Amino acid sequence: MFISYRWLGRHVDLDGISPEQVAEDLTLSTAEVEGLERFCPVLAEVIVGYVQTREPHPNAEKLSVCTVDVGDAQALQIVCGAGNVTAGQKVAVARVGTRLPGDVKLKKTKIRGLESQGMICSERELALGDEHDGIWVLAAEAEVGRPVDQALAAEDWVIEIDNKSITHRPDLWGQRGFAAELAAIYRRELKPLDVSLPSPTGSASYPVRIDSTACPRYLALAIDGVRVERSPDWLRMLLIACGQRPIDLLVDVSNFVMLDLGQPNHLFDRTRLSPEGIVVRMARAGEGMKTLDEVERKLEPTDLLICSGDEPVALAGVMGGEASKVSPETSELLLEVANFEAGVVRKTAACIGLRTDASARFEKSLDPTLVPVAAAGVLSLLQEIQPGVTLAAAPTDVGAWSDPSCSVQLRPERVRRVLGAAISDAEIADSLTRLGFGVEPGPAGLSVRVPSIRATRDVTREHDLIEEVGRLWRYDNIPEQALVAAIAPAPPDARRALVRRIGDRLAQAAHYHEALGYSFVAEDLARKLGVADEPHVQVTNPVLEGWQRVRRSIPVSLLGLLEGNLRRRDEVRLFEIGKAYLPEGGGLEPREVHELGIVLASRRAAQPPWDQSAFLRLKSVVVDLLEHVSRPPAHWEREPDGQRAAWAHPVCRARVGVAAPEDAVQWVGSVCELDPLVARALAVDADVAVACLSIDGLLAASTERRRFRAVPRYPGVKVDVALALPQDVSAARGEQAIAKAGKGLVAGTELFDLYTGEAVGSGRKSMAWHVILQSDARTLTDKDAQKFLDRLQRLAVELGGELRKE
Amino acid sequence: VPSDRLAGHLNAARERCSSARGEEDLRALEREYLDKGGIVADLLARIPSLPAAERPLAGRSANELKREVQAALDEARARLTDAALGERRAGRGFDATLPAPRPERGALHPITQLTRELEDLFGSMGYMVLDGPEVETDEHNFEALNFPPDHPARDTQDTFFCDEERKLLMRTHTSPVQVRAMRRLSPPFRAVAPGRVFRQETPDRSHEHTFHQMEGLVVGKDVSVGHLIGAMKTLLRGIFGREIEVRLRPGYFPFVEPGFELDARCPFCEDGCAVCKRSTWIELLPCGMVHPNVLRAGGIDPEQWNGFAFGLGLSRLVMLRYGIDDIRWLLSGDLRFLEQFS
Repeated sequence: MFISYRWLGRHVDLDGISPEQVAEDLTLSTAEVEGLERFCPVLAEVIVGYVQTREPHPNAEKLSVCTVDVGDAQALQIVCGAGNVTAGQKVAVARVGTRLPGDVKLKKTKIRGLESQGMICSERELALGDEHDGIWVLAAEAEVGRPVDQALAAEDWVIEIDNKSITHRPDLWGQRGFAAELAAIYRRELKPLDVSLPSPTGSASYPVRIDSTACPRYLALAIDGVRVERSPDWLRMLLIACGQRPIDLLVDVSNFVMLDLGQPNHLFDRTRLSPEGIVVRMARAGEGMKTLDEVERKLEPTDLLICSGDEPVALAGVMGGEASKVSPETSELLLEVANFEAGVVRKTAACIGLRTDASARFEKSLDPTLVPVAAAGVLSLLQEIQPGVTLAAAPTDVGAWSDPSCSVQLRPERVRRVLGAAISDAEIADSLTRLGFGVEPGPAGLSVRVPSIRATRDVTREHDLIEEVGRLWRYDNIPEQALVAAIAPAPPDARRALVRRIGDRLAQAAHYHEALGYSFVAEDLARKLGVADEPHVQVTNPVLEGWQRVRRSIPVSLLGLLEGNLRRRDEVRLFEIGKAYLPEGGGLEPREVHELGIVLASRRAAQPPWDQSAFLRLKSVVVDLLEHVSRPPAHWEREPDGQRAAWAHPVCRARVGVAAPEDAVQWVGSVCELDPLVARALAVDADVAVACLSIDGLLAASTERRRFRAVPRYPGVKVDVALALPQDVSAARGEQAIAKAGKGLVAGTELFDLYTGEAVGSGRKSMAWHVILQSDARTLTDKDAQKFLDRLQRLAVELGGELRKE
Repeated sequence: VPSDRLAGHLNAARERCSSARGEEDLRALEREYLDKGGIVADLLARIPSLPAAERPLAGRSANELKREVQAALDEARARLTDAALGERRAGRGFDATLPAPRPERGALHPITQLTRELEDLFGSMGYMVLDGPEVETDEHNFEALNFPPDHPARDTQDTFFCDEERKLLMRTHTSPVQVRAMRRLSPPFRAVAPGRVFRQETPDRSHEHTFHQMEGLVVGKDVSVGHLIGAMKTLLRGIFGREIEVRLRPGYFPFVEPGFELDARCPFCEDGCAVCKRSTWIELLPCGMVHPNVLRAGGIDPEQWNGFAFGLGLSRLVMLRYGIDDIRWLLSGDLRFLEQFS
């Protein structure tokens, strides 16, 4: 919303206070100022010229050559292409050197052989509007040689206010509201408004009937004798300054009063209304109307209508109708100034997606006592410009409205306590009085009368008044205080601590990068990953087509990041700890899961050695993580088919768990290879493994406790063993055999080779381990090693294999 | 054995020791002379076949040869080792600028790094760290925060809705955690709640539909605007590491009253720069005194208790801190961005 410094001056004397000061004080006491700009700065550059002569251009039919007096000794010769230029006009002249909007510097030129020493400007060339019918003809009184802005008294500054900062202040949706703030800030008088109406020429009042509670007040004025013409420049300039395009006098006056007082109003061509008069009612199902933007609207029973007889002529508070709008021939008007219920207007505007200047104001809850004030404003402005305008009938002012002004009790002590400032009772009363509140002594301290313009929504309780005092006192004047209160230290937060440990370990020890992915999953990604059929929380108004799904697991986000990163890197290591949502549950709120997702994609080697596969490298990271956060050793096994994620490899999947009470295993997550089909769909040409772990599972398994284990006192024996085994015997069973063969002496095993090939025969594999045998009681000898090997040979045979001899 | 033959062996051995180029040469010499079946062993083996009178001399001579060769070998070995060390110490071809192999790295996301710093800072001031769901109810996100149905302030929130009835939505701010905290904790308490929030906005350099905030809430007895200013200044000292001038001006948020925008004197310039849009102030955080309606909705008696709340834009702070010019980098998952924070 824009406010004009000059316009404010109509309501409060700002003599001696600069626009910059006004912007600063509004910022600190009232609302957020987003910008302050000189209004149309080029108007200070162009000067008023008097067209002395106009001759046709000798060499061009459509051009004319003018001599223009700009107050200098020598008149300028200007070639002009506009058809409406004539001798005797006052015009806006840009001289050579003037910088015009669009950063064009005017140069001396020859046009068809004749020199042109400047330009006679149109409004469009000055960025005042899109009028391009011809040059801008100024008022005859404009003084030749002066800058146009001074000559027209149009010097102005525009202050832009952030609309979000005034959603709660219906009074600030007009220039007068801001003027009232400045009057309070500068202790100056807010000029009173003349709300009197002239006596009507006719006696009968215009018939109006209200059939809905959504319209608390409706005032209709029948006005005669208007002429549709161009508005005077001062009015046009103020409208342009506030971002409103001037149209013609009627539309401009209606808009001016809305922007001035914040009260929307509407002008009907009275001759196009039914003699039955105005009826305000809710729309009926199936009804429709054409609004003045020439769109046919389908109406809902929640829409409030202004009807002429039974014919809808306006969508109340939103927009007028096409059929009854004023036209260039209009001379008899019906002025509507009304109060509509905020919620009803807001709903209609939202439903048809048409937020107008009027609806934006009505939805803030307007003061019904503004209605006659605005009506008087429209009529008196019309009469000021066209003295022949008359009031044709006695005003009609109907509705079950009541004055919203109220009394609120204020405890001055409470003001001081909440603000933390030593403001005296008198200062409190003074602040409120300046802002237009009535202050009297009351039972609790002060009894404050809230004027109706502030009472519709904004100020209704003691707290609201404390804010009023504070902002006028200036929050900047409140001294800083240290918080002192007996607060117990926050209890330890195990989950947060765990999440930090995981993040640190992955980033610093495993060298993974934490990514924060979007919570939304693109439809395309969901399809490629095969999760499109799974139930998702979905937003009804996605920011992009296809971005409605909310992720139900974290790896989905990470998988979406692979392709782009692999275009620039030959290895991608990412993790995310985040929230995902499962809608299946039936309640309103979906089930929330906290997950750790990790992904490793590598194409560093076309055929990595067996222990450098993405799966084993990622498994190693997960093993380390589990050892880091939990003491009991992890259990690994093939993941059951029922638990396969849609994007996971059909076979190469493992799940991991930790020991739970009673020999149970608590499963905490999985490590999988990516399904090659999904990899192809994702255009990912790399070895990819994905881990997904439940933060809750890890939390249950985690422990801070670590105990020192005695370092062995006797040296161990290192034995290398190789077992040739059938393919389907797992490494875990091989290690179980080694442990069993060691009879408690096996202190550690490390697989160092895995081989399948001709040397071991088809359907078989060879696995070789370093084994450490160790005893707490004695130094082991070769004999112990030999016994171990003998036992292992027997166990290997039981597994369908053998101990390989080097 | 004639002594000149022995001397010949010795001279030949010494000759070879001094000309030896490496351990292999010495080892060959050692094999030839000292190992089983070598010259010394051969000499010793022949002793029994000598006349008895010659035997002691022959024995001594053979042992003499063995000692001398061994000594020559030891000396040569020492010389070679010294030479090798000398060679290594000469450091021929050393180039300090030779590029090192790229270290493998990982990093926490800058949002996480800042969140942790702030959690620790607030933790040191007695604030708990709380969490709340990203998919929220209208009740927590709006209703309990004093946004009545049909209030125009709801339109400023650009909400993603998750159902047709608009009862479920993507939280538009971290403020719903305020309500959850009040319902769960008994005053007095202090809490912060970091997390992601969502706005239905078309992304551009400075707008994202998903970004991060940190909510702060203090509930106590006789908490005043002065306390709010004090707490915010302490916070800024923690973030910027020095005293930062602040100003409080009116701001409107339904869940606080009075509500403020807190501006900080631009930490990057003296007299206006691009960051502060030449105003020397940067809009840093919205805050205010908790609205009595919100306290009531949280089950707290506003006559007994009051408090203040604030909302820190984590995404914005991260961008300020690192000079990131486009907010869309933050959630891009692009390693060219992420790798810069290790």
